[in-house]
Amino acid sequence: MRIAPYFAYARKCFLGRSAYRFDHLMSILSTCMQFFIFWGIYRALYGANSEIDGITFSMVTTNFILSMGLGAVFCPDDYFLPNKIWDGSIATELLRPISFKGRMIAENLGNAAFDLLFRFLPVLVIALLTVGVSAPASPVMLLLFLFSAFLGYGVLWTISFAVQMTSFWLINIWSLLTIKNVFVNVLSGSMIPLWFMPEWMNGILNFTPFSSIYFTPVQIYLGQLSYGEIAFKCGVQVLWIAGIYLIGNFLWKKGQQKLVVQGG
Amino acid sequence: MSDVFKLMGVYAKTTAKSWFQYRVDAVLKSLAVFLREATGIIVIWFTLLKFDQLNGWDIYEMLFLFSLLFLTYGIMIIFFTGLRDFGRTVRDGSFDRFLLRPRGLLFQIIFVNSDWFAAIGHGGLGITLFLISAGKVGIQWNLAHAVYYLFAVAGGVLIQGAVFLVLAALNIYLLETNSLKELLYWNMRKFAGYPISIFHKAIQFIMIYVMPFAFVNYFPAQYLLRKSDMAQYPEIFLYLTPAVGIGMYLLAYLFWRFSIRYYKSSGN
Repeated sequence: MRIAPYFAYARKCFLGRSAYRFDHLMSILSTCMQFFIFWGIYRALYGANSEIDGITFSMVTTNFILSMGLGAVFCPDDYFLPNKIWDGSIATELLRPISFKGRMIAENLGNAAFDLLFRFLPVLVIALLTVGVSAPASPVMLLLFLFSAFLGYGVLWTISFAVQMTSFWLINIWSLLTIKNVFVNVLSGSMIPLWFMPEWMNGILNFTPFSSIYFTPVQIYLGQLSYGEIAFKCGVQVLWIAGIYLIGNFLWKKGQQKLVVQGG
Repeated sequence: MSDVFKLMGVYAKTTAKSWFQYRVDAVLKSLAVFLREATGIIVIWFTLLKFDQLNGWDIYEMLFLFSLLFLTYGIMIIFFTGLRDFGRTVRDGSFDRFLLRPRGLLFQIIFVNSDWFAAIGHGGLGITLFLISAGKVGIQWNLAHAVYYLFAVAGGVLIQGAVFLVLAALNIYLLETNSLKELLYWNMRKFAGYPISIFHKAIQFIMIYVMPFAFVNYFPAQYLLRKSDMAQYPEIFLYLTPAVGIGMYLLAYLFWRFSIRYYKSSGN
């Protein structure tokens, strides 16, 4: 498999994003606002307490900035396939001599690279200047954090991939995607640090992929996990990626057989 | 006058028909809007399971605060969908058609289209939250309070309607105002679900004097709940919601009337 065309797609996406500067500034602002809302809420909740259940306020701040910052990077295009099915261009897409899924990954990674540089970093700098963020537990943990965050992106990407595949049958999946995003937002720990979820809820969450997206990397960054636990949690991330990808891929194969292009 | 109501009826019927053409999709869409808007509430519910209260506000009081925000938006959007989407109407030139018809411009914009999913999603959420919380926050629902509540809701609808009207009028000069709306309206609205007293002074200032969401839900809720964090604001704020709503709407309407004269078609 030649990698060059995929790299070209990724590069095209990266460069395309730099055309909309004002919109981009807005998205940075929006992430900052989101962060300051939850930072404000937890400052009020902590009040005079320096720690609650062994969790310090600066750990909470770090959890929010890392997971919301990563959230700004982890935005796979949920409408990549649905839009092409909606307007019928999927027919020509499938005729191209390159892998459709490969292109999907390439374009999403191009976008993610752009957001990492121009969204995550600015937001991180603003947070560092205003409220401060904990340093990583150690350089090794920082590297493991980056590795686990990459796997977290994989988990989120495969969820989006699998849900998108239902558009072969449902055509209009705006509702389904919106509901998926509600689940991700509430259960991944970016709005409620999962330390403070009720016991029973964390029990349920262990059987879902959501805590693998942001919370595992954040815990590694803060040095909350031993090497054994890190290996286990990263293994869980890999299993989720493989499992959800297989479901998505099954739908992808079935969907192509049943594809009906309206109009032409 | 009676033909005006007939026209309103016809418009409402055609909009409803077009929205509910795909029934399963319509039900799913309402559910999705409902859940998406409830995200902040689900989050605060989980959070308060652990922490009991946020700056003195318990979960029911928080739900009551949220309910005003959603209820007023749900009512507002029934009337102002046309203003929300006004940028498109100007850009594709279909506003020219409105100009040629023998009815008021604002009348047509208001009644030609209503986003019923947003109305049902937001309004339904508002009503649900009100029903859950109203009996549990210690409000004596006597006549005076009920009247106050109705005026507060009407004021909140007018405040947000005024913002949409100004942004719509700005389309005539700028053609593209979505980013401005995102900045001024949607970003500030994210703060409005929570007691504004927990935020930085600069944010509080914006919420009271620039984009007055505080008058949509915080101060009306405070009038009925009297939480201790009200001490840092002038008491008069508790009574200002209807006045702010009417004042803002009048100003917005004048600005709209003024701007409309400068309309140049972008169509061909």
